[in-house]
Amino acid sequence: MKTERIQKKAPGPKGDRIKEFLREIKRNKGLYLMCMPALIVLVMFCYIPFAGTWMAFTDFNVMDGIFGSKFVGLNNFKYFFSESSMGWRVTYNTLFINFFGIILGLIVPISISIFFNEIRSNVFKKLTQSFMFFPYFLSWVVVGTIIYGFFSTDVGVINNMLRSLGMEPVKWYAEPKYWKGIIITASMWKWSGYSSIIYMAAMATFDGSLYEAAKVDGANKFQRILYLTIPMLKPTAVVLTLMSIGRIFYGDFGMIYGIVGNNPVLIDAVTVIDTYVYQSMRTLGFSYATAIGLFQSVMGLILVSAANRLAKKYNDGEGLF
Amino acid sequence: MRKSKSFGDHLVTVLAYLFIGLFGLLCLYPLVLTLGVSLSSEREIVMHGYSAIPQKFTLNTYIYIFANSGMRILKSYGVTIFVTAAGTIGAMIITSMIAFALSIKSLKYRNVIAFLCNFTIVFSAGLIPWYVVCVNYYGLKNNILALILPSIFSVWNMFLMRTYFSSISPSLYEAAKIDGASYMLIYWRIALPLSKTAVLTVGLMYALQYWNDWWNALIFINDKDLFPLQYYLYTILSNVNAISSGRIPSGAAAGITLPSETVKMAVTVITIGPIIFLYPFVQKYFVQGIMTGAVKE
Repeated sequence: MKTERIQKKAPGPKGDRIKEFLREIKRNKGLYLMCMPALIVLVMFCYIPFAGTWMAFTDFNVMDGIFGSKFVGLNNFKYFFSESSMGWRVTYNTLFINFFGIILGLIVPISISIFFNEIRSNVFKKLTQSFMFFPYFLSWVVVGTIIYGFFSTDVGVINNMLRSLGMEPVKWYAEPKYWKGIIITASMWKWSGYSSIIYMAAMATFDGSLYEAAKVDGANKFQRILYLTIPMLKPTAVVLTLMSIGRIFYGDFGMIYGIVGNNPVLIDAVTVIDTYVYQSMRTLGFSYATAIGLFQSVMGLILVSAANRLAKKYNDGEGLF
Repeated sequence: MRKSKSFGDHLVTVLAYLFIGLFGLLCLYPLVLTLGVSLSSEREIVMHGYSAIPQKFTLNTYIYIFANSGMRILKSYGVTIFVTAAGTIGAMIITSMIAFALSIKSLKYRNVIAFLCNFTIVFSAGLIPWYVVCVNYYGLKNNILALILPSIFSVWNMFLMRTYFSSISPSLYEAAKIDGASYMLIYWRIALPLSKTAVLTVGLMYALQYWNDWWNALIFINDKDLFPLQYYLYTILSNVNAISSGRIPSGAAAGITLPSETVKMAVTVITIGPIIFLYPFVQKYFVQGIMTGAVKE
């Protein structure tokens, strides 16, 4: 009796709540029906697969099925972080590529949007914006061919330049050490136009009278950028950065495979968690690959929640999601 | 004093033009390079390397491609066009319906449903369980639906559309409801027509996603007849060495030197052709979409 009264906030005892639920469903039947296709897709492709994560704790074999296979506890996870596995390596690669991706993804788009704002010629603006935004429309496979055009040993643009400068050409596709840098640059190239639009959208909302006032006070352009534009862009930058940090354990599968493909020489240097899961699936078995995926998801969840909390603190209660 | 100030201002302007101009060129150059090489003679490219200006201009590469693997490319084009069209239409129907429903404030459980959507962004089962379920239970291996269904609903795009729908005044709906219209009818007759830009914007985002997708093909498709264009390009790229090492069916005419460098670039041009062609018309919708998505509410 007492507990019921405590729960008073909800509409009464359980029976009533079910009735209330059914009544609401009936009242807005049409609207709930309109949600159904999307929810079915989510259940099929996002929620049902959760059952399969059980594989991570078993030694999966097809004969016994997901729930019949031998339970092995945390062995798959232990192996992932053991000396003999690539676990630490791929985690490091993922964090490294994403970390520098985030830094470049801050500096370049913000510089673009600030400089873009200083340009008066509309023709110039229109043209350059079209150019800068275009890479966003290309798939990673296409970016991969473009990178080949630059770094091919025999015919690539870069080696051509080196040769004409009298320097030794480099066998790029046989030198793993360059590829983290190449991939980070490619990612910057593909996304900068896109991200700069977000910053420009933020700048469009700035109060023009602030700039006028600063002008009257004798602040030059440089000072106006430094003391007005950049501080006002900060909230947008913080939110975008927190979003990327929330996803720092996720590598871009398409980017890695589109650029280096299956190149056995390069793949170790740039394998991220996502591509490692795919490789492990084919060589080390489903259970192990599932375990890596689960590790990634859990780390992702922790980081996203933390980022969301930080965003709320910073953003007057408005989170990322 | 005055002079140095204007000097600084000029410097900023010059830097701005330089930076933006150079970055713009950096984004344009690779495309011109690709086009240039695809229109060059293979011999020139092998001898002198890649060049943005066509060397000994020729259309031979394109003729060669269509003569030798024309059917393959046309088939892949067909797959890509079908997947893009069917996927985009399906995705738009699914996405706009739920986005509309969640934009109605009187829907009691809309927050629960929104949470179910959001949760899938922050937490997922991972590739393997997803793959096992798709292949073993949904039969998506070597099935063209594998290229459509897994990406048919994007939660991001749904929230983007909901933002648009939320800006429609509810009094419009109220008036229609008094006249006896159901929500389905309101969605179809009022909400959608009033959100034409949103429909176009989100539709284009889905279309681009389907056009550029090759990952689903990598995971699910072995059957060459079902290769989308992007995946066909991917296989060419990763097989470049195999092709030029002469592992070509002996039926193919001997003695023909394989124009592999120019072929790669020509196939790339064929792949991005429609995008280049449509780009000037669709660019502004993408910009709009990004801005709406970025500026919350």
